[in-house]
Amino acid sequence: MIRYVAWQAATMVAVLIGAIALLVVLTEFIPGDAASVLLGSRATPASIAALRSEMGLDLPVYQRIAMFVFNAARGDLGTDVISGRDIASQVFAVVPNTLVLAFSAILLAALVGVPIGVHAAARPDGFFDRLTAYISVGLISTPSFVIGILLLLVFSVRLGWTPVLGGGEGQGLLARLHHLILPALAIACGWVGYIARQIRASLLDVLGQDYIRTARAYGLPNRTIRYRYALKIAIIPVLSVLGIGIGDIIGKSVFVEIIFNRPGIGSLINESLQNRNYPVVQAGVLVVVFLFVAINAAIDIVFAWLDPRIRERLFRAESA
Amino acid sequence: MTMDVTRRQLLRSAAALGAAAPFIGMAPGAVSAQDGRLVVRMDRDLQNLDPGNRTGPAEVNVILAVCQGLVKPKIGALDYELDAAASIEQVDPKLIEFTLKEGLEFTGGYGPLTAEDVKFSFERFIKPDAGGKKVAFADDWAALDHVEVTGPLSGRIHLKQPSAALWSVALADGSGAIISRKAFEALDGKIQGTPIGSGPYMLSEASPGSQFVLKANPGYSGSAQHFAEIVLKPIPELKTAELAFLGNELDFTEISPIRMAEIGKTANTRTVSQSGIDYVWFGPNIARAPFDKLEVRQALRMAVDVDAILAGAYNGLAPRANAILAPELLGYWKDAPVHRRDVDGAMALLEKAGLGSGFRTRLTILNNARNQAIATIIQANLAEVGIELEIDARGGGSYWSLGENDASRDLELSLVEYPGKTDPGFQLQWFTTSQIGLWNWQRWGNAEFDSLHARAGADTDPAARAAMYVEMQKLMDESAAFIWITNNVYAFAMRETVTPAILPSGANLILQDFRQA
Repeated sequence: MIRYVAWQAATMVAVLIGAIALLVVLTEFIPGDAASVLLGSRATPASIAALRSEMGLDLPVYQRIAMFVFNAARGDLGTDVISGRDIASQVFAVVPNTLVLAFSAILLAALVGVPIGVHAAARPDGFFDRLTAYISVGLISTPSFVIGILLLLVFSVRLGWTPVLGGGEGQGLLARLHHLILPALAIACGWVGYIARQIRASLLDVLGQDYIRTARAYGLPNRTIRYRYALKIAIIPVLSVLGIGIGDIIGKSVFVEIIFNRPGIGSLINESLQNRNYPVVQAGVLVVVFLFVAINAAIDIVFAWLDPRIRERLFRAESA
Repeated sequence: MTMDVTRRQLLRSAAALGAAAPFIGMAPGAVSAQDGRLVVRMDRDLQNLDPGNRTGPAEVNVILAVCQGLVKPKIGALDYELDAAASIEQVDPKLIEFTLKEGLEFTGGYGPLTAEDVKFSFERFIKPDAGGKKVAFADDWAALDHVEVTGPLSGRIHLKQPSAALWSVALADGSGAIISRKAFEALDGKIQGTPIGSGPYMLSEASPGSQFVLKANPGYSGSAQHFAEIVLKPIPELKTAELAFLGNELDFTEISPIRMAEIGKTANTRTVSQSGIDYVWFGPNIARAPFDKLEVRQALRMAVDVDAILAGAYNGLAPRANAILAPELLGYWKDAPVHRRDVDGAMALLEKAGLGSGFRTRLTILNNARNQAIATIIQANLAEVGIELEIDARGGGSYWSLGENDASRDLELSLVEYPGKTDPGFQLQWFTTSQIGLWNWQRWGNAEFDSLHARAGADTDPAARAAMYVEMQKLMDESAAFIWITNNVYAFAMRETVTPAILPSGANLILQDFRQA
């Protein structure tokens, strides 16, 4: 198990270094270079040279990669040349908002999607199963920003129940939760459908297993069998999909953050791209890559810990 | 009909109601300009509040509320009024004399505003810093030679050459903001987020991505502020701003002109529209074949239906532009020819240019809904004369990068919208030969145009300048390189209690002059 965790950690570091190398190399393809882009058309050659040196752009690519890795490892992502603000503090100020949004959306989707999937699996091809199948496909295929705008129109503009703007910064927990409802719902809607269909398929598979038949033979109620015994196993492939889906959710959070004007890593990257503030874009992308890799590694480790079959395979590999 | 409710169901319902209870009644209360607080939308986050290194109009709006200039723009007229200056006079084309009002104090305990601060604020535009770096807006004060301090509150601005645009581009704009020399030195020049001025408001909260709050400056010696607090919300997406206004979270916002009627019907709401001084046009890169031929450019101009573009992309709300300068501006060309669509004429010209069988080309646009609509109409128009158009829609970063390092050299056709300022020289400067490779994406160069631009900029006689600017527009028209669409129209929504102060550019708000109706 320790070897497995160490292997996951090493993979994570390798992916991050690869991402940093890619980000540094990509800046080479910006027309001119980041310094002249930032200073604009009025820049003098002297000021461009000074800024190039300040940003380390005059160094060879391999040195810049090494410097970026070294600085990023210390939490130093550089200084925003436009605003003069520390980039790390800008990024880390908004990352919690994105994480809270992403995990709230997943939680909300799971809370709604799992019972729907279980109920649909109870009577395959029944009315509820067919109805949820249509609704699920509809939700999966509707972009989150469309759902977001519709939710805003209904709940904020028409009914006045929820706020439109921001994440409730500087306000109490309840206000923050209040600001979270619609954005989380906008992202969660698509995932509700997806989770429901996944749970249904996985559960139908598990319900056909021998140990479930045995449980039935013992006279356990169907509800207990489904929720207490079958769901535990059926949910594992869904969790695996959710781990990979975190990238999709962070991607969707960009649109949702823009629509709801929430501070977050997505809106920060988007605004920095509009301003051609490439050092902030680099830092933001690096943090997103880190989150994606770290969450997936954590999920893999948890699976290995939870699932006896995965553990067994690992132990066999370790003893071989 | 009976309804059986189990104890468990009852408990669940109670729990659900309990969970929802804290949120009931928590919807944002209607913002109200009446309680002395004004909530205004900004189209972007504030990046840099240093007057010399600002990045856009949103920052100018804040700089002008926090700092004073010698003069400030006059609302409702293309004119200026006194601000920090008790008097200011253009003594001759190269000399401006000023006297400051007494008792002006910088916030933060940085002392009185003196002529030394004026000298420091203006001369830092022409003097590179220790690292050889000039401020981003150095060109605004390019005509400045030096500021002579003749007394604690008086001085003389000496120019290297006459500059008619100096008043609108520098003195009454962000580059004319007077900052405290003492504060600048105490903060080691890092004033990007800490503007120190003597104006009616102080920046009391800066939460990037969330909000910026201006509080009335109690030490301000001018007339009383109309609002105790102005909250600025950075909302890049116009649609979100409209929804926030409808959700009562904003007192004032720009809206899409096509939504004016609908938004205007909501309670406690007033909408206004204002014609702009921007310039929206499209045209070819004349250094690239086949657009190096005059006949092809003329054919292009004949093929496009500008009125259809205005109807389709602007819902008929924006007036047509026939030349670059808007009617409000000095040098407006009243008799500019109106180029109507003539499909047969365009095809004849293409035939004459040896392109009777048509050709393929690419139109590069900034990707937004309006530009997409314009491009689609142009595409349909050109298809009728045999020109197959590919639309290259780019995001802001990629699109505006075309203005650097000659990145525009490979462009074929481009659709562009530039914001205008009140001096015509500002609008026309981007079409000079020296701008080729920078912002003159069409690579059109004309020696006579360049000469007229230089002369008009140095002439302080308005009538003579106006005549020169008309001549310049005639040269542009003869080139057939520019297909003007509109000078734009802006629409705004506000609470009935708010009287706004908007400059002709549409993007510049004089926040300190917003009033309660």
